[in-house]
Order: sequence, then C-alpha cells, then structure tokens
Amino acid sequence: MSEEAIRVEGVSYAYGDVKAVDDVSFSVAQGEVLGFLGPNGAGKSTTIKLLTGQMRPQSGDISILGMDVAKERDKIQGRIGVCFEEKNLYLNLSAEENLRFFARLFGIRDFDPTPLLQRVGLADRAGDRVKGYSKGMQQRLMVARCLLNNPDILFLDEPTDGLDPVSSQAIRRVIEEEAERGAAILLTTHDMDEADKLSDRVAFINDGSIAALDTPENLKLAHGQRSVRVRTRENGEIRERVVPLDASDTGDQLKAVVGAEGLLTIHTEEATLEAVFITLTGRGLQE
Amino acid sequence: MSAQVSRAAIISAIIRKDLREYSRERFFVVITVISILIYGIGFWLMPSSVDESFAVGIHQTGMDDIFAAAMGDQGVGIELVQFDTVEALEAALGMGEAEPEQPLAIGLAFPNDFLQRVAAGQETTVRVYVDANVPVEFQRAMESFVREIAFALSGNPLPVADPDREVIVLGEDRVGDQVPFREKIRPLFAVMALVIETFALSALVATEIQARTVTAVLVSPTRVSDFLAAKGILGTGMAFAQAVLLLLIIGSFANQPLILLSAVLLGAVLVTGFGLIAGSAGKDFIETLFYGMAFMIPLMIPPIAVLFPGTAAVWVKILPSYGLVQAVVQSSAYDAGWLDVLPHLGTALGWCVIAFAAGLVILKRKVETL
Repeated sequence: MSEEAIRVEGVSYAYGDVKAVDDVSFSVAQGEVLGFLGPNGAGKSTTIKLLTGQMRPQSGDISILGMDVAKERDKIQGRIGVCFEEKNLYLNLSAEENLRFFARLFGIRDFDPTPLLQRVGLADRAGDRVKGYSKGMQQRLMVARCLLNNPDILFLDEPTDGLDPVSSQAIRRVIEEEAERGAAILLTTHDMDEADKLSDRVAFINDGSIAALDTPENLKLAHGQRSVRVRTRENGEIRERVVPLDASDTGDQLKAVVGAEGLLTIHTEEATLEAVFITLTGRGLQE
Repeated sequence: MSAQVSRAAIISAIIRKDLREYSRERFFVVITVISILIYGIGFWLMPSSVDESFAVGIHQTGMDDIFAAAMGDQGVGIELVQFDTVEALEAALGMGEAEPEQPLAIGLAFPNDFLQRVAAGQETTVRVYVDANVPVEFQRAMESFVREIAFALSGNPLPVADPDREVIVLGEDRVGDQVPFREKIRPLFAVMALVIETFALSALVATEIQARTVTAVLVSPTRVSDFLAAKGILGTGMAFAQAVLLLLIIGSFANQPLILLSAVLLGAVLVTGFGLIAGSAGKDFIETLFYGMAFMIPLMIPPIAVLFPGTAAVWVKILPSYGLVQAVVQSSAYDAGWLDVLPHLGTALGWCVIAFAAGLVILKRKVETL
C-alpha cells in the first residue's frame, strides 16, 4: 500500500439536531480495502455522500486523491466509482445502453461494454432491458457501472446485501481484483464475514462516530475473547461449556475437561468482528 | 480513467438517453400519436365556413306578401320554411313521433283566422316554438317579429317613434365572413398538444428522482446545472416539435407563421416549467399525475373560452395560457400583426419566466436533497 487516496479529518454533518457524522477522521491508502461497519443509521451512507461530493461537510476537511472535494468536485468525480445501496439503474435501457450512457458522461470515447459485462457475468444478457434482470444481476450491473471509468477509488455501499451466493461471490471477486489493481476501496457493509474476508482494515461506525479502526485481526486480538467450546454427556444429558483461553486457570480447566468421562467434542473459537463490535459499542450490527 | 468532457457532451448524452427512454414508454408514444391523429382528423372534419342564416319554421295562411315584405326589411340571415299545417311544423321541430333529420330550432304558428281577428281588433294567439338551446335573445326577436307583423296587418304604426339606428361594429365587421369554429379551436388543439408533453416530461423527471438514477448521474462529472439544462431542453423541444407538427397538419402556418412559432415556443417553455414542477413534486405516479392535472386544467380554460362569443372574464385573462391563445387566434384567424399580438406575447413571456424558473428551482432543490 502506498500513498493516501482518501483523507478525512474532523468531518461532521448533522440533519437538523441529529448528528449523522460526528468528528470522523480516517484515511484509505491506494490498493487498500477499508471496511466501514455499522448498523443501519450509523452514518455510513452519509459519509459516502460526503466523500463523493453529493453533500458538503458542515465542518472538517476531505481530501480525495490529494484534491479538496469541496473545490474540485468535477475532477474528483471523474476518477471515482460509486456503487449505491439502492439499485438506481435505467430499467427501460439494456445493460449495454446503461453502461454506454455513463461512459459518455465520463467522456470515454469508443467505449466497449463487453469486457466489463463479461467480468460481472452479464455478457449474454447485454442487450436485454434491465427491468427483466434479477436483483443479483442488477447489482452486478451496478458494480460494472462503477468500474467503467477505471476509478482510482471505489465507494461500495452494501454491494452484496440480500444477494444470492453466486452474485455475492462474483462481486467479492471484483473487489479483490480492483484492490490488486491499486484502487482504494471504501466498503460499507453490515456483513461481518464479508468485511473480515475482504478488508485490510475495518472501521466501526456507531452513532456517527468511529468507535474503532484497525485490521480485523488486531481488533479481534485486542477486544475479542478466544475460547474452547466443550460438549460432554453427563448422566445421559448433553452439556456444553465455554473455557476462555486467556484466563489464568485455562490450563487446569482444559486438563479437567480432557480427562473427564463423557467428552463428546472440543472446538476452539475465535472472536468474531460482530462480537468485537458489540463489545465496543454495546449494540449489534443488525439493529 | 475518464477524459475531460464538455458540458455540451454531457447535456447531449442525457437528452439522447431521455429520448431513448421516452421512445420505450409505450403509453406516452401511443397517446402522443393518437392525440395528434385525432386532433388532425377532427380539425379537417369540422366545417370550414360559417352558415350565418338560420331556418324558422312557419305556418300561416294568406300572409305571403306580408312576410315577404317583413323579411325584406329585417330578415338578413333568416330563412323561412313554410308548413301547411301546425302538425307538420311541430313534426319538423321534433315534437312528433318521428325524429326529423335536421330539426328546426324555432317555429311560428299563426292561427288560420289570424288575419281576420287582427283586422277586427280581436285578441288572438300566435304560438312561438323555441328549442331549449336557443339563446333567449332569439326568442325575444321572434316575439317582436310577431308583434310587428300584427301591426303591419292592422295598418297601425308602432306606438313609438322609430329612432334612426347607427350600428357601430367594434373591430372588423365580419358579417358574411365569420370565423369558422375550427379556426377558433386551433389554439385549443395546440395547447392540448403542449399539455400532453407536460405529462411525458413530468413522468420522465419523476422516474429519474424516484428511482434515484439522478444520484448516479450526479456522481459522474455531471453537474446539477447540466441535468437541469438537459431536462429543460428536452421538455421544450418535445413540446415544441409536437405542437408544430400538429399545427402543420391542421394547416396553421398560412398566416403569420413567425408569430405562431413564437407563441408555440413560449407555450413549450411554459409547459416544460410546469412539467418540471410536477415531476419534482410528485412522490409517486399518482401524485405526479395529480400535479400534472392541477397545471393542465387552468391552461385549458383560455382556449376553451375563445370558443364562446363575448369577452373573457378577468380571471381567465390572468391565466398563464391566455396570452398565447390570444396570439394564436389573433394571428391565425384575424391576420393580426406583431404590434397587435405583442402585449399577449409579453404576458406569455412573463408567465414562461415564472414557470420555468420555478420548475428549475424546485427540481434543483429536489435533486440536491436526495
């Protein structure tokens, strides 16, 4: 990872009295995937709107590719790709026509949509009107659209939300390829597993503020609890207990479990990002 | 990475995309084609001249000379149709069992002993038949006509001095050269053609807002001003083209074509403004339709008012389409020149500025707060 693609310093935005984004600071390097995790209404989408120039911050500074987003919005928007949470495609146009239209807006000459459509698995339906597409196909087209200008930064807002496994997998593959190409990616999601697999770092956003920002591994190590889950049969009944691995008497507890009669299974358990999020914020991601 | 792109290229791309979408909205395409066809055919089916005479059915005996003299005095435009019996007259008035092909609207039945009774100074009754749709002025005229016949028969002059009459016709005296109905309906068709585009444009704008496609457009190098310009140009262009096409079909450009084109262009700008407002304000199809109708109804009143004789009420004169309608009617039917229609076009221009500016401001606010 090299220089910063996104730099956010002390940014705030309020809808009336409600603070949607409250003194948020972070940065994303080129080639880095930053997972932006938080429940609905935590401030993720507002942050993306501020970063993409759709809204102006009420305080703080946002620098995108070294440019001030408030002053050089046009230049910045030519170099970013945004995939929205809502599927805002032209339903009466085909996939090909949708992409060609946006290519014109980006000033791309002689644009050929086929490679992009092949990449998201829609080449064989390129000429069909989008209103006949499934939810997963529409989402894949949304991803293709945000890639057509070969962006330096990708903003992906819940790109796999509610999709079938095939579509989700296709989109995850694209995210990995784009990061390898060197694009900085801001990925908002409330899918912990997805964030864990795809993100180099994750930021927990809650009530408009960043509660924690680090690599998934560091967050789990710092705030999670490792444990062993043991199932035994005692007096004909199956019982389950959890032995923490970081306790002072862990060794003694494990010896007792292993030596006991009726042992059925032993599983090691690592902390999940969801558990870390709950530990840090006191609320779940699905709220 | 994208290349530098000009504002014109962006606006052109949005317009082309909108035209493609419009062409795929079967409802608007069908309604546009059908309305142009119906208006065009309907116009040419209407009579091209005005029959200024009207027929009066009459039953009388032995008074041919008197009637001939009376009609010679004041019967301009009145055609007397003689019936031998009262029953035949009533049948011609539609009072019989069989429906006549072209029923008369007015009839006079003089009793067979009318001459004798009037000459003897006795009372008698003349029956005046008047259709419910005949203006009351005609009814009064017929009553006066009967009274005059009675005086003529009795040899007594009217018990008043008959004053000299000087008729001054305000404007061009068009007796014998009345403007036919289809000339008067021309602006109504033009306004209707424009109004249909209000619905089409508002639907396009509403879809763009409700589906949030405008958000996707605005995170490209497109500015809000590009989006607004594209919608304004598209709406004005479509409304103008459709109205001009209809006016060409109904042969409207023989008199003062430049005035007509100016009026239609202003009308296109006006309905585009209203279309932008309706499209921005509606939260769904029904609301958009409601706002579209709310603007359409006041626009339709002035062209309908032109169809009826008399001066329009003050509240009609302040409606946005009044100036346009007057410019179209005056130039196409009465050969009015630029000086005559300039005040009307000026009023229309004022409304255009208000409607278009309001449409742009409301749409701008809407897309910025999505």
